[in-house]
Amino acid sequence: MQNKPFGELVTTTTDWRKTLRQNHSRTFIIIALFFLIYCAIGLIVDLYLYAGSYPDASLSDLFIALLSFQLFPIATLIMLAIASISLFICYILYDKLMLLGTNYHEITPQSAQNLTEKQLYNVVEEMKIAAGLRYMPKVFIIDADYMNAFASGYSEKSAMVAITRGLMTKLNRDELQAVMAHELSHIRHLDIKLTLTASLLANLTIIVLDILFYNAIFSGRRRTNNRQSLTAIIILLRYMLPIISVLLLLYLSRTRELMADAGSVQLMRTNEPLASALLKIHDDYNQHQDEYRAALTATAHEQIRREAYLYDPTMAGISSLSSINDLFSTHPSLETRLAALGFKIDRKI
Amino acid sequence: MTLILILILVALIAYAILIYNRLISQIETIRNNQKQIDIQLDRRFKVFESLINVVKKYMDYEKTTLKDVVALRNQAQEAKAAGNEKERIEAENKISGIASNLNVVFEQYPDLKANQNCLQLQEEIVSTENKLAYAKQSYNDSIETYNANKKSFPPSLVVSTFRSKLDFDFPYWQLSEQKIAEQESYTVKL
Repeated sequence: MQNKPFGELVTTTTDWRKTLRQNHSRTFIIIALFFLIYCAIGLIVDLYLYAGSYPDASLSDLFIALLSFQLFPIATLIMLAIASISLFICYILYDKLMLLGTNYHEITPQSAQNLTEKQLYNVVEEMKIAAGLRYMPKVFIIDADYMNAFASGYSEKSAMVAITRGLMTKLNRDELQAVMAHELSHIRHLDIKLTLTASLLANLTIIVLDILFYNAIFSGRRRTNNRQSLTAIIILLRYMLPIISVLLLLYLSRTRELMADAGSVQLMRTNEPLASALLKIHDDYNQHQDEYRAALTATAHEQIRREAYLYDPTMAGISSLSSINDLFSTHPSLETRLAALGFKIDRKI
Repeated sequence: MTLILILILVALIAYAILIYNRLISQIETIRNNQKQIDIQLDRRFKVFESLINVVKKYMDYEKTTLKDVVALRNQAQEAKAAGNEKERIEAENKISGIASNLNVVFEQYPDLKANQNCLQLQEEIVSTENKLAYAKQSYNDSIETYNANKKSFPPSLVVSTFRSKLDFDFPYWQLSEQKIAEQESYTVKL
C-alpha cells in the first residue's frame, strides 16, 4: 500500500461493545490453545521418556497412565515450573526493556516545558479518569520525528505510555486524546502481559521440541516401536508448530489492537478522532518514508516495541528489521481498523 | 461417585464466592467513581479560582498596554494620512518602546506572554471540564457493568441469596427532564 492516497472517510456505524466482546473470547481461545499446546508437548516428552523404560506398553496405555497420574508426568511439571519462573523474571525486567535505545524523558505536571507537553499530560489524565484506572501511568516523550506511541506495564501500577515528539506535535487535542485512549486501553486490557505470556510459552514450546527432536534423531539408545512412531510425530511437530505459533501470535496481537481501538471509542464515546489520527499517521509515514526508515534503522532495539506500537511502520512499507516476521503484520490493516471503527474509505475521488 | 459429587459441590461454592467477590468489588468501584465526581467538582472550583486570580493580575497590565498600542497606532495612521511624518515616526517609536518594554517583562515571565497565557487558560478550562465529564461517564460505566452482572443468570441467584449485601439500585448520573429541554434548545448567541 505504498503511497496510495486514501480517499475520504465515510461514516458507518460502530458497536464497540460487540468488538470488545468478540475479541475477548478470541483471546481466551488463543491463550487456552497456547497453554494446551505447551502441556501437550510436555506429555510427548513424558511419553518419549517412559516409552524407553516400558518398551512393551502401548502408547495409548502410557498416555492414559500419565493423565491419571499412575505414571508421574515429571517432564510436563518441570516444563510448567520453568515457564512460571521465566514469566516471573520477564515481568520484572520487561518495563526497563521497552525504552531501550531511544532518547526519552518523563513528563510530570511540574516538568512540562510548554503547552503541548502540558496538554499531553492533561489528556492522559482525562483518559485515566474515564478508564477508572487507579494509578496515573507515567508519561514519556521520545525525541523522534516519526509518529508513534506505545504502552507498557504489567499492572496499572507500573504502567507507562510513551509517545514520539512527532506524534505529539502533529495531532490536534482530540486526536492525541484518542491515541492515548488506545494506549490506556492496552493497559486496561493487560495486553502487554498477555502477548508476552503467549510468546514466551510459544518460544519455550519450540525450545523443548528442538531438544526432543535432536534427542530422538541422534540418540544411540535402543529404539522401540513406540519411540519410532513418536519420533515421526516429533519431526512433524517440529516443522509445523513454529508456523502455527507465529500465526496464532499474530492473530492474538491483531485481536488486541482491534480491542484497544474499540476501547478508545469506549473511553471517548466518539470514533472520529482515532480514525483521523490513524489516517494522519499513515499519510505521514508515506510522505517521509526515507527519513523514518533511516531513523528507525538507527534506533536500537526497535523490534522490542514493534508489537506495542500504535501503528506498525511496516504498513507503510518501512521494514527496518530484516526478519521473516515482517511478512506478517502484527497489526490489522488500516482498512480493517477503520472498518471496525465504523469508517469506510471512499476511493471515488 | 461421592468424590465426583463433592468435587462438583466444591466447584459450585467456589464459583459462588467468585461471583460474590466480583459483585462486591463492582459495588465499591461505583461508590468510588461517584466520589470521583465530587473530587472533580472540587478541583474545578479551586482551579478556576486560582486561574482567575492569576489572570486578573497580568491581564490588567496587558489590557492597558494594549490600549496604549492601539491609540498610538491610530495616531501614527492619522499622521501618515495628514502627511505629518515627524508625528508618525514619533508614534511608531513609542510603540517600539512599549514593545521592547513588554519583551523585557516577558523575558522575566517567559510563560506569561499574552497569547500563551490565553492558550494555557483555555487548555486548563477544557481539561478541567473534560475531567469532570469523564468522571461522570466512568461512574455510569461502572453502574452499567454492575447492573449487567447483577441481572444476568447465574449471578442473579447469588444476589437473591445475599440481597442486603449485593443488591443496590444505583441511579445513573443524568440531567433532569427540565434541564435536558433547556440544554437542547440552547444555542450560542454571539
